[in-house]
Amino acid sequence: MKRKSILFVALLAVVTFFASTNISSAEEGTFPIGSKLDNVTMPDPMGKDYSLNDLKGKNGSLIVFLSVQCPVVKQYDDRINEIANAYKEKGINFIGVYSNRTEPVDAVREHIKNLYKFPVWIDKNNVFADKLGATRTPEVYYFNNNNILDYHGAIDNDRSGTNITKPFLKNAFNEKLAGKEITEKETRAFGCTIKRIKKEKM
Amino acid sequence: MKKVFKVFITLAILSVSLTTNLFAQKTNSTSSKASTVFITPKVTKVDEITIKEILKPKGKPLLVNFWATWCVPCREEFPELVEIDKEYKGKIDFITISLDDLAEINRDVPKFLKEMKATMPAYLLRTNDENAVISSISKDWQGGLPFTILYAENGDVAHTRQGIIKVDIVKNKLNSLLKAGTAKKNTTIKKPCDPKKDIKIKN
Repeated sequence: MKRKSILFVALLAVVTFFASTNISSAEEGTFPIGSKLDNVTMPDPMGKDYSLNDLKGKNGSLIVFLSVQCPVVKQYDDRINEIANAYKEKGINFIGVYSNRTEPVDAVREHIKNLYKFPVWIDKNNVFADKLGATRTPEVYYFNNNNILDYHGAIDNDRSGTNITKPFLKNAFNEKLAGKEITEKETRAFGCTIKRIKKEKM
Repeated sequence: MKKVFKVFITLAILSVSLTTNLFAQKTNSTSSKASTVFITPKVTKVDEITIKEILKPKGKPLLVNFWATWCVPCREEFPELVEIDKEYKGKIDFITISLDDLAEINRDVPKFLKEMKATMPAYLLRTNDENAVISSISKDWQGGLPFTILYAENGDVAHTRQGIIKVDIVKNKLNSLLKAGTAKKNTTIKKPCDPKKDIKIKN
């Protein structure tokens, strides 16, 4: 009897361990479609704080992870501006985020001069990138006016911009604005890896 | 007579040492030349159709690294990839696929590979739909670089990694694939015991 109880306890411990491991790995770095983002406040490159609720439009916000050095972001710059301008009029406001540990605030300040016509956040220690599970630049997250994630991934399917056959982000915006269900809610954004700070293991 | 002999010996030693030095210099210059000469690797263009063929293992485990010259972590991990290639040469197939712009196929891509002394077959992927290709290669690839994928001989995915590889993990996976491959070959080669033949041999 005693032997059986010991075996049962050991089995329970093993099952609990594996179950908790799976839960933590599944939750780490993911922000599924349909999740609500609580209001966040982060500084711009001049050090002034802005909250998501202050910046979002009447039809939500588009958060785009950017980089000073990434050539893929450079290829997308014109299209990012074009889409930002076009949809600002329709109530969707763009917010840029710089999370790379390798890009100091001065570099970001210099980089955005005369480049983007929308506000940008400095994500110190990539806390916000961790929260959303963002790993690349450019990578976009579209939150509706209730801060619910409606689209995540790539801007379109061709970084060169010469052969775009699937304008994912525009499609998502258009479907949402037309009151339809977004057909493709998640795509894979191709780009540069966000360089994160090294975290000490607990 | 003794003097003449001494002079002769001195001259002989001198000439031998000179010849040796000259020969050594020549050898050194030849070997240093050989070590510095490294042919610029040829980079072959692939698209969404031809990539499917090169991602099929051909009788050996296949290791594939997706990278780009502008990708800092890709550049950082490359020397380790070259070391893996050296260590497993002949035992596995190892290819690299660059996602640089097509304009770099004869410029930065081969230049970097030459700097790295990389001898793996090198490709450059140019497709009109990167998103579709990435999705078709692996569900684990979110779109970031570098991305490394290891296929077993039968085409099964044995390991994937988005980000800089962990060398120990890749080597462990390679070793276990090679071990499994050898064990399989041994069982295939070993014929089942034929009692009739055995009896004949005994006779």
